Amino acid sequence: MSAIKNFWARIGKKGRISVIAIVVLIVAGIGAVLFRIADPPHVVLPPEALVSIGGEVEHGEAVGGFPITNTMITAWITLIVLGLVGYFATRKMKIVPTGLQNIVEAAMETMINFVNSVAGEEKGRKFFPMFATIFLFVFANAWLALIPGFTSIGFWETIHEGEETTRVLLPLFRGANTDVNVPLALALVSFVFVEYWGLRYLGPRYLKKFVSLGTLFKAFGLIFRGKKAGLGMLGTGFIEAFVGFVEGLSELIRILSFTFRLFGNMTAGEILLGSMMFLIPWLVASIFYGLELFVGFVQALIFSGLTLVFVTMATTSHDEGHEAQAEHAGH
Amino acid sequence: MDFDSARMIGAALAIGAGALGPGLGIGILGMGAMQALGRNPEARGPIMTNMILAIAFAEAVAIYALIVAILLVFVA
Repeated sequence: MSAIKNFWARIGKKGRISVIAIVVLIVAGIGAVLFRIADPPHVVLPPEALVSIGGEVEHGEAVGGFPITNTMITAWITLIVLGLVGYFATRKMKIVPTGLQNIVEAAMETMINFVNSVAGEEKGRKFFPMFATIFLFVFANAWLALIPGFTSIGFWETIHEGEETTRVLLPLFRGANTDVNVPLALALVSFVFVEYWGLRYLGPRYLKKFVSLGTLFKAFGLIFRGKKAGLGMLGTGFIEAFVGFVEGLSELIRILSFTFRLFGNMTAGEILLGSMMFLIPWLVASIFYGLELFVGFVQALIFSGLTLVFVTMATTSHDEGHEAQAEHAGH
Repeated sequence: MDFDSARMIGAALAIGAGALGPGLGIGILGMGAMQALGRNPEARGPIMTNMILAIAFAEAVAIYALIVAILLVFVA
């Protein structure tokens, strides 16, 4: 007994709190396993409509009208949170920043340095707003969706299916990126952004990447003039035309892969947390909670970072690109 | 085979086979990064960032398979 007392006296205040926390977690975990508190996750991929403007809502599905879904509400909350952080960080600006201003400035500086390291000083200034917007939105969204209460506070709906009646929770908040429309919108924005800056920087030269028929026409010209060299050139011409076509196709497929990468990661994270809560409540679930914090950050970085890389690639012409690469390798 | 069992087997095959490639890919990526780290320990920062970026690419493929599996289990 004295050993325990000794230990209790030696570990200090913080140590005592952690010991109590661990004991509570273990007891709660065991209790939660014995008396099952979590239901198996009820997975609904489309977002649930809460209100429908000019229509009716039936079990989370809008019948006519313009639905206001729970993912939309979360997206609005994200915007409000980001706006408030921006407002409070810049309200009383000081030359030597403290508190919130300090944090925001540090984050901004890190992001600016990252953009500059990828795109270079001059282009970096132009691409930064887009990069930061996508990054902050996805990041804030992913972390907001981890706040307890998201996907667990909502309305109970009773569904009658013949003889059976099931009760289903319609969550009031749900991470916006678990709705495939939001990642799709972001992906389209990123696509338009890449094409716009590509055309802006290179002009019509940008389109040459997709429509490279030069060699093919040359080959036809040679053939019509009756020169044999044209036949050899014909194969190269076809290959070049095909490469251009594939290049254009990959630009479109990029939208799809952007969308599903973000959507899949966010949805899988949510389902993972729900399943873990059901299998081994609290103790094991909290480990995956930490994983989801990391995933949210990485996915935000990847979405915005890839947009940045693609736009940098689109704005460097072919010949310029090789020089830039050689220069980069020299560093 | 009735519809439900076919659905479940399909989902298991989708994520099981779909995780194979990304798993190999991430393993190869990790190997490359570790070798690079062993040769040039000072370049830890850039190697880490690029490794995580590349791993996310490989992982995305597994996520596609996961979406298919989830669709099969919960939605179909």
